[in-house]
Amino acid sequence: MEPSITTTRSRRLRRISFALALVFACSLPVASLAKQTEEEKAAKEAAAQEKLLQVFVSEPYLELSTGPGRGYPVFHVVEREASVDVLYRRTDWFKVRDEQGVEGWARARDMRRTKLADGSPFFFNLGDRAGFTSHDWELGIGGGDYGGANLINAYGAYSLTDNMAVELTLSQFLGNSSNGYKAELGLIHVIVPEWRVSPILELGTGIVYTEPRATIVLPQDRTDQTAYAGAGVRAYLTRRFFIRADYRWHTIFTSRDDNQELEEWKVVIACFF
Amino acid sequence: MESRNRLLLLTLVLSTTLGLGGCSLLHWPFHKKPKVEAPQTEDQAAAEEEAEDADSTPPRVIDPNVARRKIKVPKIDNENWEIGAGMGFMTIEDFGTSSTYAAQINYHVTEDFFFRADIGQSTAGRTSFETLGGNIELLTGDERRFTYYSLSLGYNFLPGEVFLGRKLAMNSGFYLLGGIGSVKFAGDNRLTINLGAGYRVLPTDWLAIHLGVQDRVFDSDLLGETKVTNNIETLLSATVFF
Repeated sequence: MEPSITTTRSRRLRRISFALALVFACSLPVASLAKQTEEEKAAKEAAAQEKLLQVFVSEPYLELSTGPGRGYPVFHVVEREASVDVLYRRTDWFKVRDEQGVEGWARARDMRRTKLADGSPFFFNLGDRAGFTSHDWELGIGGGDYGGANLINAYGAYSLTDNMAVELTLSQFLGNSSNGYKAELGLIHVIVPEWRVSPILELGTGIVYTEPRATIVLPQDRTDQTAYAGAGVRAYLTRRFFIRADYRWHTIFTSRDDNQELEEWKVVIACFF
Repeated sequence: MESRNRLLLLTLVLSTTLGLGGCSLLHWPFHKKPKVEAPQTEDQAAAEEEAEDADSTPPRVIDPNVARRKIKVPKIDNENWEIGAGMGFMTIEDFGTSSTYAAQINYHVTEDFFFRADIGQSTAGRTSFETLGGNIELLTGDERRFTYYSLSLGYNFLPGEVFLGRKLAMNSGFYLLGGIGSVKFAGDNRLTINLGAGYRVLPTDWLAIHLGVQDRVFDSDLLGETKVTNNIETLLSATVFF
């Protein structure tokens, strides 16, 4: 048995090339067919260079299901020492293709027990407590209160270290006197990333767009710069989920004489990956 | 007599000399004992060892210097995002039912849960009051535009398969949705709570067809008093995993 990394056309590129071919077929006259085949050839060559990961089954067998979920039936097994090509991953399932070309979904838990061609274990991140401590991305949605107005917000964060992350928050607030949107860029400092529940500190800046409610006569819409300092907690829930609650103290640099100060609190349900 | 004694003595001396010389050559009778070496300084010992290593390369049966196969692990494609668009009907309370267009993006966190962000637009019809009252217009054309978005958490709760004939099986599933969002209607923005359910069929692993119903609830004071309005959206959409 010769372990190797096989090269196969990727599905996505195939899809793109199919879409391209369709567009070409519809929009171009038949005379341009020669050009089209050249482009297809180039796309094929590019796809051929993309490599798929090959792993070897080291347990007695590897079960393949018909779908990426625990309820879907097992329809095929790959024997020990046989190899599978990893096509892609969706949540905690891997779409794989065996040596006979049978494609199916293998559980991440089972894939953890396979080996690479050099005999080393196949390592990838699982959504667990270790991942909560150390991960790259966070994504969350939530709601709260922003100076008395209802707040809806979504955020994304990228971790620079286990302790420090850069976050972008987009929010809309809906109040009795005014509505508006805000976008903020800031830093999160996780004080003890190893803990299940850890305090966090926040610092950032952004812009806030405010429009007065139609029923109240006020100065016209305005866009101001804002800065905030905040504190909160994040707590691991299960799998890839955690909850985050925080308080932010905002200073809005208005064009009027005084800066406006606002309090914000919110609760966010988030995931990491 | 004297000469015989001398001869005997000389023979004895000669044999002793030769015999002892031979013994010293053969290390007898200490030939089995290890040779006692004179104590060396550490520097000398080190220098000798180095010299020994340099000139003696013993032949090896198994060569352990096999080139290790380097495996470069290709990045595995994660297909947790799902994007798509659809159209359907929006029943706006008091304003009748009209068509709606919506776009959505989903992120699948686990096999059970996903996040969804969606945005849509519809145009409100006429209230019964306007229809019966003749020339009365409650809202201008622009104000009738009903634009909404929501951020939801979804739960896949009945995964399954649908069978089309004998040969074709497609994965499917029901899901529940709940979230918050906002609607812009009649010149005002309102906070909405959305609750709904959907059914998803996947003809292939990367394409999904959704049929979903969501109730978007918000407080409205448009017709005098503030009341809770329920606005039902029925949507047929297609999404692609990437």
